[in-house]
Amino acid sequence: MDFSLTEEQLMFKDQVLKFARNEIVPRVQEHEFNSEFDWDSWQKLGEFGILGLHFPEEFGGAGADVMTAVLAAEALGEAGVDGGLTLSYGAHTYLCADTIFAHGTDEQRRKYVPKLAGGQWVGCMGLTEPGAGSDAASIRTRAERQGDAWVLNGSKIFITNGSIADVAVIYAKTDPQAGHAGISAFVVEKGTPGFSVSRDLHKMGCRTSPTSELVFDQCVVPAENLLGQEGGGFMMSMQTVEWDRSTLLAPFIGATQFIIERCARYAQQREQFGRPIAGFQAIKHKLADMKIFLEAARSLVYRIAWCKDQGRALNHLEAAVAKLFVGDWSLLPTNDAVTLHGGYGYCHEYDMERVFRDSRLAPIGGGTSEIQRLLISRLM
Amino acid sequence: MNFDWHPEENEIKKRVAALFDHPALTEIEAMEEAAPAGLKNLTRRYLGRLAETGYLSLGLGPQAREEAMLLLAAQEETAQVSGSLFLAVETTARLFGGLMAGFGGPKLGREILEPLKSGQVVGAVALTEPGGTEPSSGWQTKGRAKDGGFLVSGTKSFVTNGLIADWLAVAGTVDHRLAFFLVRPGQTGLTLGPRFQTLGYNGLAVSALELTEVEVPAHLVLGPFDSDQPLAFVRLMQDLVLTVAAVGLAGRTLSAANQYARTYHRSDKPIFAHQEVRFKIADMVTLFQTAQLLTRRAVWFYGQNDREAEVLAACAKVFCAEAAEKIAALSLQIMAGQGYVSGNPVERGYREAKYPALAGTTSEVSRMNIADELLRRYPA
Repeated sequence: MDFSLTEEQLMFKDQVLKFARNEIVPRVQEHEFNSEFDWDSWQKLGEFGILGLHFPEEFGGAGADVMTAVLAAEALGEAGVDGGLTLSYGAHTYLCADTIFAHGTDEQRRKYVPKLAGGQWVGCMGLTEPGAGSDAASIRTRAERQGDAWVLNGSKIFITNGSIADVAVIYAKTDPQAGHAGISAFVVEKGTPGFSVSRDLHKMGCRTSPTSELVFDQCVVPAENLLGQEGGGFMMSMQTVEWDRSTLLAPFIGATQFIIERCARYAQQREQFGRPIAGFQAIKHKLADMKIFLEAARSLVYRIAWCKDQGRALNHLEAAVAKLFVGDWSLLPTNDAVTLHGGYGYCHEYDMERVFRDSRLAPIGGGTSEIQRLLISRLM
Repeated sequence: MNFDWHPEENEIKKRVAALFDHPALTEIEAMEEAAPAGLKNLTRRYLGRLAETGYLSLGLGPQAREEAMLLLAAQEETAQVSGSLFLAVETTARLFGGLMAGFGGPKLGREILEPLKSGQVVGAVALTEPGGTEPSSGWQTKGRAKDGGFLVSGTKSFVTNGLIADWLAVAGTVDHRLAFFLVRPGQTGLTLGPRFQTLGYNGLAVSALELTEVEVPAHLVLGPFDSDQPLAFVRLMQDLVLTVAAVGLAGRTLSAANQYARTYHRSDKPIFAHQEVRFKIADMVTLFQTAQLLTRRAVWFYGQNDREAEVLAACAKVFCAEAAEKIAALSLQIMAGQGYVSGNPVERGYREAKYPALAGTTSEVSRMNIADELLRRYPA
């Protein structure tokens, strides 16, 4: 075993950290307060190369490994970038662009991936429906072949980046009788007749990331926009959720490092009963528990990244364990961070309440903790 | 980065695991009921067998830290089998043997360390005193120079292997400086016992000892030292050993509960089919895998002499100790009445599970140490 990171990986993480602190973080509070997507930051993420890090250079990427991508995502959280922007980045890069890259034809790859990797386009992925979340086989959106096109009818909900996306990967039933094997994936571009965004949802956290409801009403998609094989959508979505449970968890790890630094400094400034609160054991124990969670979570997320770098196609058990642990346990340090800051922790200007709200998504998005328990008990 | 064991690490895992066949497991089981004489025989027998695998020679002393992962590979196999045997072996090799290798001279190496490596010596290290665990808490054990040697007096408690050891390293001071006095059972002025009746780890001979003007020749004294580094080394080794013990305990109880849940039927189906049971097991798997990975990372950082090593070791000890307690409790709940009956691994594991959190550096002190390090890193 060897848990070393390469010099290049460490240097790149450091570069991302500095970039994010200088270029992204100064605008976080304002955009978060107004629940606005930060287009300037998005463009900067694209220019820096983060949005397409692991794609080959010919597709606008940097050819980085998954571990480097995880470290970059961790660095964004560590710098203090809000969970909304990192959520949009994750959904865009891994759930949309990577699905096209992994399963698309050469033509599809060349048409979409470079624009997504560079941030000129925003991507989203649509699987969840009002009546079907983790139970993907129950989706009701239909795609019917009519001549040289597919006609989509149905709706999707909780779609990250839905209202700002230029391109969407949409899962629909092409054979309703075939269960999992009857699900296919399609690339749907913004402006396609019959494709609309019915509303954005107001959320507890990750507010700078739009979460939308999409509607497909006789939406005609060219036949060449079928992604991969007809009926292959379910397997694609399963591979996609591994990203949900690796790189998309990394910002939560980074955010824990962010709150540790903030809490440690604050505890030495804030005085009660004539001394800094850092002198009280109860405060110290909270700080220690944050660090313990951080290192435990790092172990799991780095493992799944490493598994993916080894080319191990499906790492569902490792991914589910990582997701369950990070999801459930990340609520403790963020809750403690609010408490440690007292009244200030409850106020917007101190960041802690934002991190707390953002962290509440961890045990929900990408498959709830209950779904992870179900998976783990099946796979062990 | 590599989360797989290297070939040589796998090799020693196999060699150690091969020792624990069914007859061996039955014999080791008998340790839990054995009197000191029987315990000494059994411990010696397995030290001898483990010595043949090369296990006892690994990672002895701070200078051998590069063998840490190879050692961990072997430790995991032993800890999974029996907590009592594991702690008896590790106290002999890594604590007592580590002191000899790291801070003893060549003569002691020939006289004590070489026989220890071949499994002929049971060792013990006596640190704790009735008044406290640190020299600064007022250790009463002191050596007084006389005729080129020392007369040593003092009292120690909680001495693992105390009643079965061939050699004991007793920590004390000479002119306020740390020293370890090497004594043997039967020496004039040395009283061993009584054996402590403990909640768990009943296969360990834990006792008190008292020294009254015990003559120790100069060549059997380690030190006196100008710093407490040897003590810090023993403490760190002890914490790492206890962490591995906690992971082993967690693995044992989880395995027993999982097996039971798949074979015990209620309402015409295995209780594993009930969500309340399988979700508990999923939580246990998550805790176990997290604990195992965090321990591996902590040991790897120790092996690299990385500046993060101590804080990671503390994080791992707290997490693994508490994870072991949770896993043991959940295992007992799953096995219900069957688990409550004495003599099964879960009942034993439940009794043993408290130990890693209170032995060595307690979880409370570990948390304080972690927090102090964070406060140093991130000043106001």
